Amino acid sequence: MASHIVTSADIPAQGERLNSPLASKVKLISGATSLLLWLVSMFLLLGPNDTWAANYAYSWVFAVFFFFTLAVGGCFWTLLHNVSNSGWGTSVRRVMENLGSVYPFLFLFAFPLALPPVQKWLYEWMNIHREGLHDGAGLFDGFLGGFYGSTSLKEWLEAHHHGLLANKLWYMNLVAWYVRFAFYFVGLTLVIRGLRKLSVGQDSDPNPGTSRLFRARFHSTYTLIIFAITITFAGFDWLMALDFSWFSTMWGVYLFAGAALNSMAVIIITCALLQRGGNLKRVVTPEHYHIMGKLLFAFTVFWAYIAFSQFFLIWYANVTEETKYFLIRNTGGWNTAMMLLVLFHFVVPFVVLLQAWLKKKPMALTVLAVYTLVMHVFDHYLISIPERSISLMNLMPEKYAHVQTTIPNAFWGDILAFLTVGTGFLFFYLRALGQNNLYPNRDPRLLESANVSN
Amino acid sequence: MSTTRKRVYGYLAEFKSASALYKAAEKVRDAGFSKWDCHSPYPIHGLDSAMGLKRSILPWLVFFGGSTGTLTAFSLAYGTQVLLYPTVVQAKPVNIFTVPAFFPVMFELTILFSGFTVLFGLLALMKLPRFNHPLFASKQFHRATDDAFFIAIEARDPKFSPEATKALLENIGGTNIELVEEED
Repeated sequence: MASHIVTSADIPAQGERLNSPLASKVKLISGATSLLLWLVSMFLLLGPNDTWAANYAYSWVFAVFFFFTLAVGGCFWTLLHNVSNSGWGTSVRRVMENLGSVYPFLFLFAFPLALPPVQKWLYEWMNIHREGLHDGAGLFDGFLGGFYGSTSLKEWLEAHHHGLLANKLWYMNLVAWYVRFAFYFVGLTLVIRGLRKLSVGQDSDPNPGTSRLFRARFHSTYTLIIFAITITFAGFDWLMALDFSWFSTMWGVYLFAGAALNSMAVIIITCALLQRGGNLKRVVTPEHYHIMGKLLFAFTVFWAYIAFSQFFLIWYANVTEETKYFLIRNTGGWNTAMMLLVLFHFVVPFVVLLQAWLKKKPMALTVLAVYTLVMHVFDHYLISIPERSISLMNLMPEKYAHVQTTIPNAFWGDILAFLTVGTGFLFFYLRALGQNNLYPNRDPRLLESANVSN
Repeated sequence: MSTTRKRVYGYLAEFKSASALYKAAEKVRDAGFSKWDCHSPYPIHGLDSAMGLKRSILPWLVFFGGSTGTLTAFSLAYGTQVLLYPTVVQAKPVNIFTVPAFFPVMFELTILFSGFTVLFGLLALMKLPRFNHPLFASKQFHRATDDAFFIAIEARDPKFSPEATKALLENIGGTNIELVEEED
């Protein structure tokens, strides 16, 4: 900085819009692609071919959760920006809000997880519960225990040697699962839509004032709890439950670390591309990239810290149920992949991001942010996919008894699912970016942010 | 009658605010001085670039200090628990794949060595501790920790001249300009 101080004369009164023909073209193409692939995906998931559906269900949960972390991370950075009363990020706050505002639309991709024909391939505990239901047991046990069926589900589970499921019944039951599923989408949707509406309303207000600032700050406090509950328990319900006997208390934090890291990567890429396209020129400076780069660095370290803590405790404690997760991933090719993950998700970006000059160069940082995202794909692939061959060996023994660690050619489904959700995500993200001004041009702290130095 | 010999340290000029100091620093930088410094009661954002300071080599020292810590911890743990006296805990392997067990120690020593390198590297680069500084001879300099902003240009600077430097400091808004002399 120091060369030119940004004043209110530099900020257009009506703000800046995204007027890029390239962006609208990309939006159109990705929207059409996603619609087409979505139809194909629904056919694969719900169609007549069980083999396709079973394999594709795992591809689907991988792709959905990957983009879920990005959108949830956008909500997180918006909330954190408001609640920490931060001045530096006002210039990039709208990008965070737009990233978060993709969240509600992810329901279009996540809802198959709530359909029994998809669930039966993914969540073995649901199959057991449904079997109990079929035998006349209740939906769940608790203070309303057994109101539906003739026998208690808990007793049924214990009689059928599902002791773990009987113990976990208070959390793992179908009613609670659907209530939580609804909560994930209703709760955070209301939060991010409310905050975005509050923020956007300021752009055209002749007397912007500070009231919105304080309101956003107040409403971001308790809603951070909604965010934390959403990512933690969605991680439990959709990923950890792929193997109901496995559990890790670090799981929610682990997913959060990846979400915060990679949504920041998306924010960095968006800012850099918008600036290349001629937007945000006045308000986003190398200082902002430096700060965002430092956050990227911090969460790279945080991810490694959490990932290692999870591994270390499980590895040393050697409890059978806990070690399952790493046992599967330390077998065959997955073992190599896990070791490469340590090297390329942590060591390489750690050393590269140590350098201050790199964090101040938008394009250099963008390259690193793209790299981080690729590693996040790798991370989530290793979270979801190794369960596939294990589960399908149990579910389809006649077909998959011989398969050891991976199912041949199943990765084509992974790519297809990733493209489906990814193009949909891109469409809704570009749509959100084009709907409103690209930065809060009437925010009282915009000039503070534009002139930030650190 | 005093017979003490004195040596000229340089000029000390006071500025009335942080922003005046900032702008003056940019002008001194542009005039090409190299041996000079700013003194302010509190840190001023961006003053380092206004002074044209180069980046400190401290980060590099810390990087190698930290790496030494990592390697020390790894060698100690690996040497003692794998090579010299293989220690089997919970049926874990005793080879290079034992390394996760050493990560906490490697992490701790990285932090410890980095911390020490920061502290001692900083002291060395600032040539501290020292008993005295020539600027303490100035009667007004103690206000640098209270309410005054100073620029000191040293006589050792190749661009220094008794008249021109004084004129420069006056031009850029310096007041109470004082020629500081240290006792030999």
